Amino acid sequence: MSPVIDPDLQQANQDAEPLPIGERLVRNACISRAQMEEALAFRARQQDDHKGALIGKTLIDMGYITHPALLDCLFHQLTRERVAYHLDRQAETIIRFTGVEKTLDGRKVLDHLDLEIPANKITAIIGISGGGKSVTLKHMVGLMKPDRGEVWVGDQPLGQLSTRELNRVRRRFSMLFQEGALFDSMNVLDNVAFPLRETTSLAESEIRRRVETCLQEVNLGGMGHKYPDELSGGMRKRAALARALVTQPEIILLDEPTAGLDPIIENAIHYLICDTFMRTRYTIVCISHAVPAIFDWCHHVIVLHRGRVLASGPSLEIRYSADPTIKQFISGDLDGPIQVI
Amino acid sequence: MLTKASPPVHCCLLAPMISFVRLLGQYTIEFVSETGKIFLFLFAVAANAVRPPYRLHNLLKQIHFIGVRSLFVIILTAVFAGMVLALQGYYTLTRFGAEGLLGPAVALSIIRELGPVLSGLMVTGRAGSALAAELGIMRIREQIDALEVMGIAPLQFLVAPRIMAGLVVLPILTVIFDVIGILGGYLIAVQLLKMSSGVYFSGIESTVVMRDIVTGLIKAVSFGLIVTWICTFKGYYAKRGAEGVSQATTSAVVLSSVLILICDYFITSVLL
Repeated sequence: MSPVIDPDLQQANQDAEPLPIGERLVRNACISRAQMEEALAFRARQQDDHKGALIGKTLIDMGYITHPALLDCLFHQLTRERVAYHLDRQAETIIRFTGVEKTLDGRKVLDHLDLEIPANKITAIIGISGGGKSVTLKHMVGLMKPDRGEVWVGDQPLGQLSTRELNRVRRRFSMLFQEGALFDSMNVLDNVAFPLRETTSLAESEIRRRVETCLQEVNLGGMGHKYPDELSGGMRKRAALARALVTQPEIILLDEPTAGLDPIIENAIHYLICDTFMRTRYTIVCISHAVPAIFDWCHHVIVLHRGRVLASGPSLEIRYSADPTIKQFISGDLDGPIQVI
Repeated sequence: MLTKASPPVHCCLLAPMISFVRLLGQYTIEFVSETGKIFLFLFAVAANAVRPPYRLHNLLKQIHFIGVRSLFVIILTAVFAGMVLALQGYYTLTRFGAEGLLGPAVALSIIRELGPVLSGLMVTGRAGSALAAELGIMRIREQIDALEVMGIAPLQFLVAPRIMAGLVVLPILTVIFDVIGILGGYLIAVQLLKMSSGVYFSGIESTVVMRDIVTGLIKAVSFGLIVTWICTFKGYYAKRGAEGVSQATTSAVVLSSVLILICDYFITSVLL
């Protein structure tokens, strides 16, 4: 007997099929196939330095699509993928916490935490301040060690690895810290090039090419000479994101990428994360207080409360959860199970 | 009518004693734990320093920062230390009719004692505080965590070059201090007090032996280690924001200076 296939799920999966950006734009009728082929041919004719240019940028330069329209198209694609994920929930687990406990300054920050991060999806970790979100993120990359329990990245238990093995696992990660953590003594270009210069044997010309591409991806092209203290908060975050992208990691951890930014820049950062995900398909784990906006930008949501997972699942499911604590957190009401005053 | 019973006398005496012993115990534990942490830090840095990759550029940068940029303050201190030593020494030696020994007195004081100690203290004030503050800021701004995430050992990348630079630079600064200090003494003795230049220098030549110079250099290397070790340790483990960095910087300078003086006494008593 053949399995019964849900037609909605089949359609959602077809819509959500990961494709190169150019192909996706054609499939979504944002540009014609002729325009895409023309852009590809144009890019191929360019000098070596420009061959690596992004297809999206080439299409914008040729006037076939505007930048906002391109981003909008990518956002709609992410929405389709979120619906598909909500319906079938199929994803491999890339990071797993089993019974993790951590006490800091006499306070139990993580209390028997069990969680799973799906691979090649955008996962948001939300929850009230002091709930253990940043500590959780630092455990994922081995910056903190659990008092009890284990953190697994793929099939590797971080607590049992030697320093060399841990460093090898860390190279699968990139992290964007809350304040960016850019080195003050270096300009943006050197900051972004830093991990490549220190951890790879790439030629300087190749490093520069990659850095320029990454800076273009985060819309900081031509800003490489500026120092971190000459940049605005949003630009610093974007420069830090470029540094996170330049090593081509498998997993990107974002610690409150939109904290302290105005709503327009916050939106721009969300588009940027979406754009990055569509191009690279990296696993992205993001701590965010941008509730409810963040539900539109991620596949999976984990709600942390008092060091434990209160809820974990597709963003659409968590968004409309009946749990009073989650409802209160999303609505921001003072009245409810979370007492802050 | 009921009256409240007063506590027994032994209770009144015991309570402050218990709290005193508790406080003493707490400070002892903190002291032992901090000392252990400081030594473990040094061992970890040493292990990281011998492991490739070797970043010569980082070492040269730190030599420039700790050494070259401390040169002005070292020269200034040395000139005036030599001058005041000559002035004071002359009036003391005149009382015994031994002013001919001014050259050796200035030279030995500077080479064996003042050169390494004052160089150590000046480097602590100028470069040590900056090292602690720089690492402290890197810690609270998560730049050290960022290095770890990139798979770069911060002890190897940030701390080892600074400590190695301290070991290389302080003996050089001490030698410069010695030379300038002796010349400062010469200025006062010959130009101001009209002593013969031959008497000043021949006394130095006949009195100062290699052992004096080696003692001074051993002290300089030890102080170079103390300054960079303590200051990087304090900065590396700074916490609690800007206040934490300022506390780390202050305690780095105070502890380094005190340790330099304590260490100076012990080295002197061993090598004398």
